[in-house]
Amino acid sequence: MSAIRRALLLAPFATPALAAEPTLEQVMRDLAGVRERCSRFTEEKVIPELETGQPNEGTLFWQAPDRLEKHTTWPIDELVSVAGGRLTYERRDRGVTREFALNEQPEMQVLVEAIRGTLAGDLAALRRHYEVGFSASPEGWRMVLTPRSLRVLGAVQRIVVTGQRTELRGVDVEGGGGVNRMRIAPAE
Amino acid sequence: MTRLLLILAVLAGLGGGLGWLAPPRADLAEFLPPGRTPASAFLLRELQSGAATTLLLAAIEGAPRAELARLSRETAAGLRASGRFGFVGDGTLQFGDAEQALLFRYRYLLSPETRPEAFTAAALRPKLEALLDGLRSAASPLLARYGFADPTGAFLGLAVTWLGESHVATEDGAWFAPGEVPRVLLVARGQGAGLDAEAQRLAIVAFHEAFAAANPPAGARLLLSGPGVFAAEAAATIERDVRRLTLLATLLLAGFLVWRFRSLAVLALVAVPPLAAMLAGYAAVVALYGSVHAIALGFGVTMLGVVVDYPILLLTLRRPGEPLGTAAARIWPTLRLSAVSAAAGLLAMVGSGLPGLVQTGLFAGAGLLTAAATTRWLLPRLVPEEARLLARPMNLPLAALCDRPVAALAVLAAAAAVLLATGGPDRQRDLASLSPVPAAQQALDAELRSQLGAPDVRSLFVIGPLATEGEMLQRAEALGAAAQALVARGLLTGLDLPSRYLSSPALQASRQAALPDEAALTEALREAAAGLPFRPTAFARFVAAVAESRSLPPLDLATLAAEAPTIAARLSPLVSRHGNEIWGIAPATGVTDPVALEAAAAGLGLPGVLFLDVKLELERLLAAYGRATLGWALAGAAVVLGLLVLGLGRFGRTLAVAAPIGGAVLITLAVLTLLGEALSLFHLAALLLLAGLAIDYALFLAAGREAPGKATEDANLGAVLTCAVSTLLTFGMLSLSETPVLHGIGLTVTIGVAAAFLLACAFSPARHAPHHFLGRGA
Repeated sequence: MSAIRRALLLAPFATPALAAEPTLEQVMRDLAGVRERCSRFTEEKVIPELETGQPNEGTLFWQAPDRLEKHTTWPIDELVSVAGGRLTYERRDRGVTREFALNEQPEMQVLVEAIRGTLAGDLAALRRHYEVGFSASPEGWRMVLTPRSLRVLGAVQRIVVTGQRTELRGVDVEGGGGVNRMRIAPAE
Repeated sequence: MTRLLLILAVLAGLGGGLGWLAPPRADLAEFLPPGRTPASAFLLRELQSGAATTLLLAAIEGAPRAELARLSRETAAGLRASGRFGFVGDGTLQFGDAEQALLFRYRYLLSPETRPEAFTAAALRPKLEALLDGLRSAASPLLARYGFADPTGAFLGLAVTWLGESHVATEDGAWFAPGEVPRVLLVARGQGAGLDAEAQRLAIVAFHEAFAAANPPAGARLLLSGPGVFAAEAAATIERDVRRLTLLATLLLAGFLVWRFRSLAVLALVAVPPLAAMLAGYAAVVALYGSVHAIALGFGVTMLGVVVDYPILLLTLRRPGEPLGTAAARIWPTLRLSAVSAAAGLLAMVGSGLPGLVQTGLFAGAGLLTAAATTRWLLPRLVPEEARLLARPMNLPLAALCDRPVAALAVLAAAAAVLLATGGPDRQRDLASLSPVPAAQQALDAELRSQLGAPDVRSLFVIGPLATEGEMLQRAEALGAAAQALVARGLLTGLDLPSRYLSSPALQASRQAALPDEAALTEALREAAAGLPFRPTAFARFVAAVAESRSLPPLDLATLAAEAPTIAARLSPLVSRHGNEIWGIAPATGVTDPVALEAAAAGLGLPGVLFLDVKLELERLLAAYGRATLGWALAGAAVVLGLLVLGLGRFGRTLAVAAPIGGAVLITLAVLTLLGEALSLFHLAALLLLAGLAIDYALFLAAGREAPGKATEDANLGAVLTCAVSTLLTFGMLSLSETPVLHGIGLTVTIGVAAAFLLACAFSPARHAPHHFLGRGA
């Protein structure tokens, strides 16, 4: 009885101390502390017009403050690299290279800024492009990004970013009735 | 004295009243000539009122890049909100949602890819494979959005042809000009028509307001250019120049005259003939043209600066104790001859056919004659008999300058040698030289245009006139097909046709006929997708869109203008309407030999299609006006010579008078050549003015020689010197002007007057050596 009572009395203090569930600001601060990282990823695209999912894999490279490279190595060879406001798109297997300003391609920009803003820990940048929803549990954190631009909402309705502490674990892009699930392995 | 002031008040009142009844007009359109050929007529009308004239180019600089981008975005937003602009381009060049929906709906009617064979299984198969490949890529959201509704890629293909040629780097939603100094660029098209000066002024004001509302930091500058800015700037510059220089010249002249005559009253007296002259000139031009162009007014007033000579001559030549009326009667034959000859010299301006020059010539001619008449009949009545208005005797060592025919001839020979050796001054071939727009503003315009990748349209095809837009677009399509041969021959690299943005109704109808029916398309798709992971319903939107396209009413200009601002902004400069007629304009790029292209274009045999090279056409036009002006100048010179022979009675005397006049022109031309000035029509006009002044000097010096006694000769020399100094003060000021044309006139007259005076002296004999007297026949 007294043990239970003591436990009940202590409960309000114990919970935060034990689980240490982080706030959005804390997660962002922690992410901003990682200046450079390289991780493997796998993707599974589900497009309603297609009978089968489209899998692919590759590496994701980040370098603060604003450099992001997504290199798909299988089944196609594709490199999307972003630095500042410029985006370079390369299909090495097709010999195609295109470079353009990110803000000229809002549908691409919305994908880039979700990952880049998260890895940079730049909450202001995220909020410029999306409504940001956040929840945390002992297993990790979860951000729901809803694009602010009406035009972009036509192609991308929601991006769900999940992670553990300073690690990015998953990016799910939902749009046009389909979803693209990206899973990211711990940094090497 | 009261009478004098009363007359001045009456003249000023009349001038004010006339200016109020028929205010000067400031639009450049009035100043430019009408065309003489269909090509030049079209060109000049477009220059005066075409869509290109409402374009405003702007640059913002003087702040860090991020700040410039913000200023660009906010200024552009302000411009759009002002409602004064049909189009504002600031780097955020994208289709709006409504525009995109419209163009997407019409994709199969507008796309050149719409052919029967494009919708077969064989043609669709590679498109579906490419779509599948694209869906694997990072760009899959974009492809998923368009690819299933438009697997043939008609819309994306159109978007590339429509928008895909920006030469400017977009950064942070703004156009940054290439170069070291950060500078953002903006383009806006006003809604006012043509060179409507008031609409342009309001558009410029709106631009400055939008910039100010964006809270520019200290140091940030807005630079504006474009035809509308030119019009406003030109009027403002000329007004400022004329006002500032006139004020300075008037003060200097007044000071000189007060010193010379030891009287303030003389100022009022001297002011009467110029005032009367301007009034008469203004009235004459208003009577003939209904209004005076502000620029013609500026030039005319400047040229009439010479008529202060007349009262000065009268006052200086008056003998001690002689009533002014008697003096006026005595000098009248010489004064009359001088004024009539000077007016005859302006014949070339009136005969040039350039409205601006004709008005200026008319203004000055009417003014000269009025000033002479005023000096003869009005001035003597304004001064009481007993008034003492005598010139201070001038004891300058002028004798040293006199009687030096050998030296003068040597100088003339040197001038002739310079002209022979150099082939004379360059003739200004560029219409820009006629433009009163300061060179700095012209340079800014060229710079902004090149940075925007929108060079001034130089070579273009003109299509029309036609009754309907459909016919015009059809001709444009025919021209586009025919021009392929010219591109292949390397005569041009590209053509921006109106049909690039909107196909003719006939072509749209033929594309509708090429679209398959629903059953055929579904079957072709099924066959094309065999073995690919597409669901059967994947292309339902595509099938529905093709079915809808088969019964859409053709897209027209009015719908584009209402719902597709980005495309309309590109198309509208290529379409020109005048009354019930519609014209198409197709700017050509990569033209290296316009003359060859002109010949080849004529050989295409397309009716109603005309090739026009702006520079070439303007040069031809200018050459034609130059020839006309030169012809009339020669005729004017002959008339002047005839008048002199008639007035002086003997050819020998005429020669003595004409030698300094011709000599002054010769020396002026030589000096202008050495200074590297290119001769424009306005220089020619200034030469005529100068000849008129030289006539004064030569005639009065000659008259002094003819009269007995050293006193008259001295008086005449003094009088002519006074006139020359007055003119040098006025036109010397003018040569400091920033406006190219005013500077040219000022320089020409200043050099010429100095030369004319010195030559008139040099050819006149010293008083104690009558045997050297040129022209005094045995």
